[in-house]
Amino acid sequence: MPLPPKGSELRVKIGGEAGFGIKAAGQTLARSFVHAGLEVFDLSEYPSLIRGGHNTYTLRISPRPISSHVETVDVLIALNRETVDLHLDELIDGGAVIFDPEATSTEGWLPSRKVRPVPVPLAKFAKEAGGPIMANTVALGATLALVHFPLEHLTEALSAQFAHKAPEIAEQNVAAATAGYAYVSKLAGDFWMKVEPEPDAPKRLLVDGNEAVGMGALAAGIGFYAAYPMTPASSILHFMAAHEREAGVVVKHTEDEIAAMNMVIGAAFTGTRAMCASAGGGFALMVEAFGMAGVSESAVVVGVLTRPGPATGLPTWTEQSDLRYVLHAAQGEFPRVVLAPGDRTDAFELTWKAFNLADQLQTPVIILGDSYLSDNRQSVPYFDLDAVEVDRGNLVAEGDIADHPEAVDEAGRYLRYRLTDYGVSLRALPGVTGAIQLANSYEHDEYGYGSAGEPADMRAAQNDKRMRKLELARTLVPRPALFGAEPAEADVAVLFFGTTKGPVLEAMRWLEPDGVKVAAMQVVTLSPFPADDVSVFLGAAKRTVIIEGNYTGQLQGLVREQCLRDVDETLHRYDGRPFSPEMVYAKLKEVADNA
Amino acid sequence: MPEVSEITGALAPTWCPGCGNFNMQKALAEVLAESGMRFEDYVMVWGIGCHGNGADFYRSQGFHGLHGRALPLATGIALTNPDLKVIVEMGDGDGYGIGGNHFIHSVRRNIDMVAIFHNNQIYGLTTGQASPTSEQFMKTPSTPGGVVEEPVNPVGVAVAQGATFVARGFAGDVEHLKSLYRQALAHEGFALVDVYQPCVTWNKVNTFKWFRDRVYKLEETEGYDPTSRTQAFDVSMSTFHELTCAPDECKIPIGVFYREEDSFTYQDGLPQLDRPMWKHAESPRDISAILEKYE
Ligand SMILES: Cc1ncc(C[n+]2csc(CCOP(=O)(O)OP(=O)(O)O)c2C)c(N)n1
Ligand code: SF4
Ligand SMILES: [Mg+2]
Repeated sequence: MPLPPKGSELRVKIGGEAGFGIKAAGQTLARSFVHAGLEVFDLSEYPSLIRGGHNTYTLRISPRPISSHVETVDVLIALNRETVDLHLDELIDGGAVIFDPEATSTEGWLPSRKVRPVPVPLAKFAKEAGGPIMANTVALGATLALVHFPLEHLTEALSAQFAHKAPEIAEQNVAAATAGYAYVSKLAGDFWMKVEPEPDAPKRLLVDGNEAVGMGALAAGIGFYAAYPMTPASSILHFMAAHEREAGVVVKHTEDEIAAMNMVIGAAFTGTRAMCASAGGGFALMVEAFGMAGVSESAVVVGVLTRPGPATGLPTWTEQSDLRYVLHAAQGEFPRVVLAPGDRTDAFELTWKAFNLADQLQTPVIILGDSYLSDNRQSVPYFDLDAVEVDRGNLVAEGDIADHPEAVDEAGRYLRYRLTDYGVSLRALPGVTGAIQLANSYEHDEYGYGSAGEPADMRAAQNDKRMRKLELARTLVPRPALFGAEPAEADVAVLFFGTTKGPVLEAMRWLEPDGVKVAAMQVVTLSPFPADDVSVFLGAAKRTVIIEGNYTGQLQGLVREQCLRDVDETLHRYDGRPFSPEMVYAKLKEVADNA
Repeated sequence: MPEVSEITGALAPTWCPGCGNFNMQKALAEVLAESGMRFEDYVMVWGIGCHGNGADFYRSQGFHGLHGRALPLATGIALTNPDLKVIVEMGDGDGYGIGGNHFIHSVRRNIDMVAIFHNNQIYGLTTGQASPTSEQFMKTPSTPGGVVEEPVNPVGVAVAQGATFVARGFAGDVEHLKSLYRQALAHEGFALVDVYQPCVTWNKVNTFKWFRDRVYKLEETEGYDPTSRTQAFDVSMSTFHELTCAPDECKIPIGVFYREEDSFTYQDGLPQLDRPMWKHAESPRDISAILEKYE
């Protein structure tokens, strides 16, 4: 398999028990490499436990663009024996294992011709530096020495990380890292791998998907965020809460997701840009109110960050099995927009755009992600803040409704739900003089009165009006993104949505040297479904394949339903793990070879 | 300022003749008219039930929300526009049953809003099933053998949960109810007004007469101190009546059970709520300082 050639990039995996601070240590390492101008992609894998249980953090580092994790490891940091037992087979030939002989016996795996052992007294150095919890910091220093990378980027990152705590903690961590570095420089200065800083690289951000969503929401002018914690969405709540005062956002941790969704609709009623988010389980509690957002024409943004279900499922793992669910959730019919970011840059852009779409269409917009997006950090080009626009649609925030004759009846009364050609009515906020309005969970007439919405013609007219927004939406939503070759020229054309993007783009790079031409389409907007674009794409291709992280083929079902056609091949994954580029590579190669 | 006839100048009420909701609307409309507030100054929020049908009978800025979810909907409004007074109308099934969780949490949050409960001890709109405040042993279509469980004690729960204004009214006494509404509107913090609202169609036990024979006013009761939480709690428990009790055996207090001035409201805890929050979305927010932390 033409993986990136040995030594062209570095893959480090840290393994140990939950509670060892593995993710935090790994992220510090990631930040030091980003500061040094390198690209990184990380992957945290952990069970839903606070202590005990096996955790890993895998970091991929490269001087070239990368877009996903990979299955192989060059340096394994084993904080316990279990790490060796579970992950030694991921190590490439000649890869190193950093371990503490006190904690990890060598019985059964050393000596080995395949493995370069790097025994380091991690606990002893940690204790000397100030405390045993810094064993992982010692290991970070050891890792950098092993790959001949300057220590200063790590010590800077550690100082910055602990700056807000006591300065002595920063000093202790620097001492721990330095001890590991010095020891391994002597012990394994001959190791074959060398990673070098890229001082001329442009500044990058290191963010996970939830941070990117939070940044998109802040940039869009969000004023209210409500949520009830649920993995993997919880850290959006933490992000928003951390910035509530400096940015001016009211952030509410609610009693449940029902309250979150209802509060967000109340906030949208006052004209506030408002959002809530949860996993599929929390969204289940939001569903009734989600429908109310539809019928009351409320401009709300809802994040659904999915994990394997049903019910509590696998809290900390990933899956793409809630696509159909978010497309259909809630009784009745109403227009909704569903956007699925494929990576962190998408997450930022689609989130700020989601707020515009919600306002322009006066209807709910869903950001559909998953744990693979939420939990994992990636180095990305600096987010383009100049590109951010605020478009509030047909909104009147101040003044007198009398100045908007198109929105009042002969008696001057405001028609919040006036029947219009394109489905959107003028939305005057409460407080605008004369804009007395009733928003309603019931069907209603043009003023908003419920019992007046019962006549058959009014019901049909209001329903038609709302559904007309779907046509408007088609002109506003992001179109599918295309990558690689033209479909007609490609050996294989691949269709996907969401975070499958990373492994697909990665696999496409690996297929280049094989001479396999791939055309890829990311369906960015799932509702309204871009049937024309998808049909043209699939229709032009020789061999077609859909890759999606679920059992039943939900995207494939949409293609059948919306495009009246099928694809030649599919690849599914539903074991809680994200697609790897290795898997995608093998599938695309197989399809191309069989063409 | 709108007149009473303008405030009630929407669609004609469809409540059953004699329903307690008429007096509740009259009392509230009169208090709103005299309050000096313009239509633009307040928002009403309703749950689903006969009480909620009132959404069509008021001319008001408002939101007719979901069954049981009026409080969080109203909270979203109150926490994003400090210029709007928020008045919430709920039913007993609506606010104490399906929405009971929100009730407890709204009380403890002390969100500055007025919460009015149309407590008819029955599910009116869905044709007379037992509600969370139906008295024990009451027979209804959903409890033909009689309600087995104890009713919810909303006043007691609210007082125990740290409420800063707790009152109970009776739809048969409009002037008294108006005085409660006035005080609730003036209160800064979560103001609960639980109103006994006879449902003449489905609740044949707790009728206007049944209440008239039993209610007495706390403010006319010697020694009653509405600033004492323990007294309020004691009274809420001691007068928690039984279905079959004779008029002289169970006296039902109405009036202000408890009030606390100068309490810390939820809004007081939000220094960022210094303006209507939509003003943050007039143009993109500059987040460059935040991005720097993620370099
Ligand atoms: C989620 C949900 N469940 C059930 C209903 C049906 N429903 C409408 S009103 C109501 C009960 C009404 O009782 P109450 O809240 O006491 O109001 P009242 O009619 O007595 O004023 C029910 C169960 C609903 N609208 N929504
Ligand atoms: S059913 Fe009862 S509560 Fe409902 S309108 Fe009739 S009398 Fe009033
Ligand atoms: Mg009732």
